[in-house]
Amino acid sequence: MYPSERAAALASASEVCAREPIHIPGSIQPHGFLLVFEASDLKVIQASENVADLLGVEVAGLLGRHFDELLEDAARLRGKLDSLASEDRNPFHLADVTFRVGDPGPAFALMVHRHDGVLITEFEAVDDGTAAYLDLYPLVRTFVTRLQETPTAELLCQLAVTEVKRMTGFGRVNAYRFDALGNGVVIAEDADPGYPRYLGLHFPASDIPQQARALYCANRIRVIGDADYRPSPILPPLNPVSGQPLDLSYAALRSVSPVHVQYMKNMGTRASMSISVVVDGALWGLISCHDAAPQRVGFQTRTACEMLGRILSLQIEAKETHANADRRLKLREHIVQMLSLMADRERGSVAEGLLAAPDVLLGFARASGAAIVLANRCELIGETPPREAVEALVRWLAEREVGEEFHTHNVGRDIAELTELSRYAGGLLAVSLSELHSHYLIWFRPELVRTVNWAGKPEKHLGQGGALNPRHSFESWQETVFGQSLGWDRLEIDSALELRNAVLGIVLRKAEELAQLAGELKKSNRELEAFSYSVSHDLRAPLRHIAGYAELLGEVEGGRLTDSGMRFLANISESARFAGTLVDNLLSFSQMGRAALHLSDVNLPALVDSIRQEMLPDYQGRTVEWHVQPLPILIADAAFIHLALRNLLSNAIKYSRTRDVAVIEVGAEEHPDEHWVYVRDNGVGFDMEYAGKLFGVFQRMHRMEEFEGTGIGLASVRRIIERHDGRVWAESRPDQGATFYFALPKRIHARVSR
Amino acid sequence: MLKPILLVEDNPHDLELTLVALERSQLANEVIVLRDGAEALDYLFRRGAHKDRGEGNPAVLLLDLKLPKVDGLEVLEAVRNAEPLRSMPVVMLTSSREEPDLQRAYGLGVNAYVVKPVEFKDFVAAISDLGIFWAVLNEPPPGSARLARRRTPRSGGDEQ
Repeated sequence: MYPSERAAALASASEVCAREPIHIPGSIQPHGFLLVFEASDLKVIQASENVADLLGVEVAGLLGRHFDELLEDAARLRGKLDSLASEDRNPFHLADVTFRVGDPGPAFALMVHRHDGVLITEFEAVDDGTAAYLDLYPLVRTFVTRLQETPTAELLCQLAVTEVKRMTGFGRVNAYRFDALGNGVVIAEDADPGYPRYLGLHFPASDIPQQARALYCANRIRVIGDADYRPSPILPPLNPVSGQPLDLSYAALRSVSPVHVQYMKNMGTRASMSISVVVDGALWGLISCHDAAPQRVGFQTRTACEMLGRILSLQIEAKETHANADRRLKLREHIVQMLSLMADRERGSVAEGLLAAPDVLLGFARASGAAIVLANRCELIGETPPREAVEALVRWLAEREVGEEFHTHNVGRDIAELTELSRYAGGLLAVSLSELHSHYLIWFRPELVRTVNWAGKPEKHLGQGGALNPRHSFESWQETVFGQSLGWDRLEIDSALELRNAVLGIVLRKAEELAQLAGELKKSNRELEAFSYSVSHDLRAPLRHIAGYAELLGEVEGGRLTDSGMRFLANISESARFAGTLVDNLLSFSQMGRAALHLSDVNLPALVDSIRQEMLPDYQGRTVEWHVQPLPILIADAAFIHLALRNLLSNAIKYSRTRDVAVIEVGAEEHPDEHWVYVRDNGVGFDMEYAGKLFGVFQRMHRMEEFEGTGIGLASVRRIIERHDGRVWAESRPDQGATFYFALPKRIHARVSR
Repeated sequence: MLKPILLVEDNPHDLELTLVALERSQLANEVIVLRDGAEALDYLFRRGAHKDRGEGNPAVLLLDLKLPKVDGLEVLEAVRNAEPLRSMPVVMLTSSREEPDLQRAYGLGVNAYVVKPVEFKDFVAAISDLGIFWAVLNEPPPGSARLARRRTPRSGGDEQ
């Protein structure tokens, strides 16, 4: 077969294996026998064939007979039967009994349980009850006492393994723990010399099919006394009343699947016993006993072992609950820490809050890196894939509509589309922070190359006719696992979701606060505009008067003033004029904030030409080289752009006036989402240290005697460009000229145009 | 006999400076000064203190936008709604170009406006231009086609 066909055949055989109805094998192990009574009238309806061997009566001789006819002291037994807890389906040792039929012989231990409308009675050789009291109970008592002092699940299992070995005498006792995928790892072992050791080895999940796991949960102890047995069939095979095969889920004698018998033989095991460790209703692990020789495990011992398993389960559950509670508490502390940082109004935002404590953010998820993807920002913390890879991941998550949460410990396998990603991370956990937008919190874990020691290659084989054969080799086999990170456990995922919900709450609250704030701001802005307007307006009149009267004074009384007097008068006029310009500029600046934008095509080349003409008086007599590069046609408010460009060009002319030849360049760059326009001069420039102040109102870089100005020009430019949702910035070095840029988005947001 | 120029201005400093400016423009027209909108209306409609004034409308009305009692816009509106006054040129004097009421003034049919410049020389120049245009050149009856092609008054005088 080709590998793929072989894999398919194997998969289908495995599926068949997983469907094998192991709870209705139709037969039992022959070291005891079984009678099935109809539950209400207590007449025999089915029996195991080996009654002939063990009791000396054929099945036919038992069918239809009443409980009372078969057993001595039946009335007392029935009394005890009535007191059986009906919900407990585990076999209960009713009594040691003798039969009124068949060969006179030894007493049998009678175990009963009700299931599926019938009373199932199982008979085995009698155990020595006194021995149980003398040996078993002290062992169990010691075990229980020591359990309380044992700190970890592993050590608890070691303790249990030792006790079980002492109680049962099996040659090797192992404790397995199952991982999330169902693979078992041996965490405790006690074995006689000569037995292969399995401690630390992994057993693949496929070793125990799903329905067997379910049975392990329901029936906590399972003994196969001799793998080499000949099953004894149940007769008749179907229940004559219901027409169904007998459900032996809870029967101690239940026969074993042939696949399992083969598995045991491959392992070199003749007898086995399994004690289930069930934590929170799920199969947590198994105590598994093996022996090279057949073993008889009496019901007393079984009961003691089962008890031990239940106590162990409870202890582990308590410890895990405790440990989980501890971890949950720690995770909560981390969440609270992050939330309080996010909620801090001073810091202002979710991203800021998370960035304020990177160690908490990473430690929270035991991650080496994290990404905060909110609105138009993508913050990377610690070891993460590069920005482009994270952005690709965000798109992948958004396209997949992964819902609230996505996690993988194998990026290469689960996100195969993004080949780059697995180079940087082995695993990731992402929670979505918005139903509408691609907002995510993502944690990354590095690849963890680890070595798994399997007990034999985790493969099954197909035998003749396509039937499944369990694996033959239990030789330790090393597998190196690449491309995977530490797995994400439920608690971590739940905590991440908890954090997500809390963050959503904050985002929501922040949005409300922002909306309120925006409302208040708008109102106070309006008031401020009105105020500054009326102040500037009212200031204008007295300034006019000062200028007017100073002028008149100079004309009328000039002859009687000294030179100083005339100079003072000139200063008064000059100052009044300057204050007037200031007020005018302020008024138009405030106008820019208020006026609606009227979008239209703005022909930049034409605009630049007209501004050059307009400003001609300002550079007459100077040598100015103009380099006007090809310029785009923008969609914007033409009057405003005119104003902005005029401010920039006037600055370029002004600050290059100390040059013999002023060189002024106007150009544009096209970017995917924006048009950039720049104005470059070879003038005096400025120190980039003050670049942040450049576009503020009344911010000036030069003394008045050097370069006159009101400090409003660039503030106006910024206001105009920002009204268009654009950006402004500048680059310069002192004495090396300056370049002023503005960038306008290609699609100007609808809200600016009315 | 030239028609008078009617100047309505409440601020004494502005009034004085405007008068100086008008004086310097060497217009022969008489300048009649009124100090608020109500008085202006009394004069224009020949009522109250002015009911006995002679007939005839001024050559031009120089009207400050902000006036006590009845403001410039209300005066303008009254002028435009009164048949005998309707064609009289009205020039609005404003403190700044950003004046929101300016739009309404246009709506009401103002002929021109002057932003009172801070620079006195400019102010003199603006007033003198206006005076010459409206008081001297605009002598023929308003509405004459010849006029519409004449030079427009210098408006927004502080634009440099």
